[in-house]
Amino acid sequence: MTRLSGGLIDRSKTLRFSFNGQGYTGHPGDTLASALLANGVRLVGRSFKYHRPRGIFAAGSEEPNALVILRGGARAEPNTRATVAELFEGLEATSQNHVGPLGFDLLAVNDLLSPFFAAGFYYKTFMWPKVFWEKLYEPMIRRAAGLGAMSMQPDPDAYDKGFLHCDLLVIGGGAAGLAAALTAARSGVRVILADEDFRLGGRLLAEGEALGDRPAPDWVAEAEAELVSLPNLRILRRTTVFGAFDHGIYGAVERVGDHLPTPATVRQTLWRITAKRIILAAGATERHIPFANNDRPGIMLAGALRAYVHRWAACPADKVAIFTSNDDGHRTAADLVAKGVQVTAVIDPRRDAKALGQYPLFAGSVVTDTKGRLGLSHVQITRDAAPVWIKAGVLGVAGGWNPNLHLASHHRGRPEWSEAHQAFLPAPAGGPPGLTVAGAAAGQGTTQAALMNGAEAARAALADLGISANLPDLPAASDAKGNQHPLWHVPGKARAWVDFQNDVTVKDIKLAHQENMRPVEHLKRWTTLGMATDQGKTANVTALAVMAELTGQSIPQTGTTIFRPPYTPVSMAVLGGGDTGPHFRPRRLTPSHEWAAAQGAVFVEVGQWMRAQYFPRPGETTWRQTVDREVLATRAGVGICDVTTLGKVDVQGRDAGAFLDRLYANPMASLKVGMVRYGLMLREDGHVYDDGTCARLAEDHYVVTTTTAQAGPVYRHMEFARQCLWPELDVQLISTTDAWAQFSVAGPNARRLLERVVDGFDLSNEAFPFMACAPLTVCGGLRARLFRISFSGELAYELAVPARYGNALMARLVQVGADLGATPYGTEALGVMRIEKGHAAGNELNGQTTAQMLGMGKMVSAKKDAIGTVMTRREGMLAETRALVGLQPVDPADPVTAGAHLFAEGVAQDTWSDQGWITSACFSPHVGSAIGLGFLASGTTRLGEVIVAANPLEGKSTRLRVVSPHFVDPEGGRLRD
Amino acid sequence: MLIPHPLLGPRDAQEFTYLGDASLLNRPDGMAEGALPAFCDYVYLRDNPAGIHRELWFHEQGDRSWLVVTRNTLTHEILGAELARDVALRRQK
Amino acid sequence: MTDLSPLSALGDALPLTIAIGPLTIRENAGMALASLTLRQGSGEPQPFGLHLPGPGGWKATDGIAAFWIGPGAWMVEAEGRAESDFAAALKAEARHCSVSEQTDGCVMFEITAADAAPIRALLEKLVNLDAQGFAPGSARRTGLEHMSVFVIRRAEGHLALLAMRSAAGSVFHAIETAARRLTAA
Repeated sequence: MTRLSGGLIDRSKTLRFSFNGQGYTGHPGDTLASALLANGVRLVGRSFKYHRPRGIFAAGSEEPNALVILRGGARAEPNTRATVAELFEGLEATSQNHVGPLGFDLLAVNDLLSPFFAAGFYYKTFMWPKVFWEKLYEPMIRRAAGLGAMSMQPDPDAYDKGFLHCDLLVIGGGAAGLAAALTAARSGVRVILADEDFRLGGRLLAEGEALGDRPAPDWVAEAEAELVSLPNLRILRRTTVFGAFDHGIYGAVERVGDHLPTPATVRQTLWRITAKRIILAAGATERHIPFANNDRPGIMLAGALRAYVHRWAACPADKVAIFTSNDDGHRTAADLVAKGVQVTAVIDPRRDAKALGQYPLFAGSVVTDTKGRLGLSHVQITRDAAPVWIKAGVLGVAGGWNPNLHLASHHRGRPEWSEAHQAFLPAPAGGPPGLTVAGAAAGQGTTQAALMNGAEAARAALADLGISANLPDLPAASDAKGNQHPLWHVPGKARAWVDFQNDVTVKDIKLAHQENMRPVEHLKRWTTLGMATDQGKTANVTALAVMAELTGQSIPQTGTTIFRPPYTPVSMAVLGGGDTGPHFRPRRLTPSHEWAAAQGAVFVEVGQWMRAQYFPRPGETTWRQTVDREVLATRAGVGICDVTTLGKVDVQGRDAGAFLDRLYANPMASLKVGMVRYGLMLREDGHVYDDGTCARLAEDHYVVTTTTAQAGPVYRHMEFARQCLWPELDVQLISTTDAWAQFSVAGPNARRLLERVVDGFDLSNEAFPFMACAPLTVCGGLRARLFRISFSGELAYELAVPARYGNALMARLVQVGADLGATPYGTEALGVMRIEKGHAAGNELNGQTTAQMLGMGKMVSAKKDAIGTVMTRREGMLAETRALVGLQPVDPADPVTAGAHLFAEGVAQDTWSDQGWITSACFSPHVGSAIGLGFLASGTTRLGEVIVAANPLEGKSTRLRVVSPHFVDPEGGRLRD
Repeated sequence: MLIPHPLLGPRDAQEFTYLGDASLLNRPDGMAEGALPAFCDYVYLRDNPAGIHRELWFHEQGDRSWLVVTRNTLTHEILGAELARDVALRRQK
Repeated sequence: MTDLSPLSALGDALPLTIAIGPLTIRENAGMALASLTLRQGSGEPQPFGLHLPGPGGWKATDGIAAFWIGPGAWMVEAEGRAESDFAAALKAEARHCSVSEQTDGCVMFEITAADAAPIRALLEKLVNLDAQGFAPGSARRTGLEHMSVFVIRRAEGHLALLAMRSAAGSVFHAIETAARRLTAA
């Protein structure tokens, strides 16, 4: 009879589920594991390397074997532990890691070849012949690698994130955690109680013992009812606190909808919790005892067996045996007998072991072998070299309890070995500041100790914060000790498993020792023990104890490996925080975006911005057609482009000019009011950082521009200069990039177009010359600013209005300028025109270039101290000969490729002969061929020379002529018209 | 990490951008004799201690103040934070 | 008066108002904004009779309000005056300070509810601010999904969220998604 009486399951409802296509039933409150056990299913998977039949081993998140693919279709999730999967109606699960049916895995042949698959085999095999690696070995290994398979479909679920703040974070809702939460919450402080299970109570739900005069689950329900009623306490169920980060910041994942057929809102939420004090009450995990063939389906942790019997009323076999090196295993035996399960043997290595109930006791004995490949059938017991076989379908193994001190060790806190506990306890110092450990996690594992320890820990944590709290009345509870006897493994010839998930045996540890991989970090990585999804929760301590035996060192001398987050696996989706697709990152739209979209503009991502790239017209079939048209139309008539994205910084104050003088290599304080000047900004190491314009609107008021990409960094840099370098200067800064929509109006008809929108403003060349600026109004009184600057080389202006009017202004300019050939143009045409004029942009200001290379060496003033000017005078910088030139293909049909490196003709194309590189390239409709800009050694003295641009990736070379970078209007006459 | 902003109290490090060693406050005089070697040291040389470090943080998603933070690079314990402007003004005296 | 028609930050002719469960979200397109920064030697002004708040604070009086944005710097709000040259008006009140127009630098969302609970629930999904310590009269800039936002607690049931105007769509998406999930839960 596999479903027993009692249990915390709702028998009034029946849930249907399937495993490997076979239908079963269970009840709300079941996990997939408990439901399978209740249906007598013991075989649930195949081991990683040897494909040995495996069964459910534990009852919580430490489960190493029972990994299934949960759900189907796009929501199929591999490597789901059946022990934590809540049962729901229609749940579908399939086993992993086998070829052919679970009961007849074709890859079980690996088990027969096991001598060749011992630890470290991949360091020694698959080496020869070398050619086989890519064609045979690697594909083979890839197919065999991993456990489950992904659906390969997009994840249809939503994920979320949030931020919580509290005075006390209690991690774990068992005896200690509940006592701590009650103590703290009753004092009025803000408490968060998190537990990874769907019910509070921890091991209190797994025991048959009473708390005071009531069953433990009843006390839990009463405590929970009180906690739920307190407004200052927040309970996070199904929530794993996976990492302890700096300064009281903890990461947690709440599985909001994992237990539902489909989530109602989000599937999981990532919580960033900032806590003043933290209590880790995460309990303890049981360890097993390795012996020959200890991995058969039906062999599980004795404490887990006890949980299945009490909490889930399930036991998958009629006859049960227990192998225990402590008194706790005897409790399991006694509880089973009380529940009507036949216990055929309790095997205890202690010669003086005492029975705690009515069952056959084999004292001074060990388990030395088992039978039953697809499910345990017999257990071999040996006492004084005399073996006997007894029948059992389930063997519970009790090797001791390891405190779950992981989070306390996330800050390199090294746990300390306790001889009395025969376990590692949290280090007394060195863990995350503000965190204390309570209950079984601190080695205070009896129920009574856990309750008192939890309450006391809360009182102490609050006292630390200057808050007094009263200890609650706690019920009387069991204080039975474990009396742990150290039996780390049963020696023998056959393989004895230590880490079930990565298939690592005691033999493998011996091999590691033999190969001198003896420090625990080497043992771990060489054997892969502890590296699977369960991170060796049921294996690590046993493994290092075995290594200690081999080396002759003590267990504390051997030590543990380093503990790192996450405590249990965390999905990439929830770490992403929920935004995917177009919302993956912020999108910034320009003020004229609506109008441009209505015109059918094609947009391009420029950092976070969406900018109009070009505006196709009906009949145009390629982007080149469109861009060529926009360029020609601008230079022939007038073009309009939204240039809002360039950074704008408002600089004010009595010392604004002096400040800008120090920020830019060229003089700025001398700029007259009403004028604009090009600004060259250097890094302190002498390289060019950014460029832009400074417009002086008043004695104490400048508006400074930056490139789009550098808007943020330059603002940061300016604040650094203002606050850190020259705090004595009276200057104030604020960003105004978004506040003002700004449009470039460029071309021979630019002035005539603007005359139609400005309100009574004299735009004549005398009144408003090249590089002038002024505030004014447009379109019947709208406040605006006009700057006569040109990126295109044409007669050009930039007009700024409050951003909400940008869209309407763009439409107005195109509309009233129709007869002037007004043409909207995008970033492509913008780029073509500035390359045609030889204007430097981001490609030329890539952080590796200098003012000298750009032909702006004379702009760097020696008369004032400015950022970068001193370092421009370094020998190496001055010796640099590469200079900005224009490049044109000798054959006009040839392309010019940005990024290509330049060489003299006839020279070998290698690093030593490299003479420079091409920074920007485009097709110029004015020149009638591709053109480019680049840096060439001594370029300015080589005009007319033919050089070679190398494209080694495609094995091509192009012959280019070195020309002036000013392809159009080289005298600059149009600018000053 | 939490940065103890002198005016706003503890703020999550997510709100900040990190620049580096606070020695960046000690910018040499660009017009003085021997400026070039002084600047080479200023730009390139750092102590990079394993332990207490004074460093510059910019409260980008906050009040846009630069802070000088004293932090233990091994333990991440933060021993204090002040407005860089105050440190820079004191330096001038 | 100009004959150009303005757009809301979300790109519509009219600013959006939407109710999601207990929360109402409204784009406040009528609020004028201007920054005010002290210059050396200038005392702290009281523009329009308003006492400027200290770090982390927001103060309001009669249609004008101000919140602290940095040492010696505030953002001044003027309800309903977005179409006017409010920066000029503020400069007249604070001649010795640096003033800059900021009205269209930010999109402003007013988020209201009948009481504090939905506001607190929304805050804990959007920003890393301790909702408990963010009482009415508080204003902070912080991060919201990789963007900088100002958050102002105007009243128990009233929050204002300011972000870069160009990112209005992204910010609104974040607020709306959080509000919908809170309502559905």
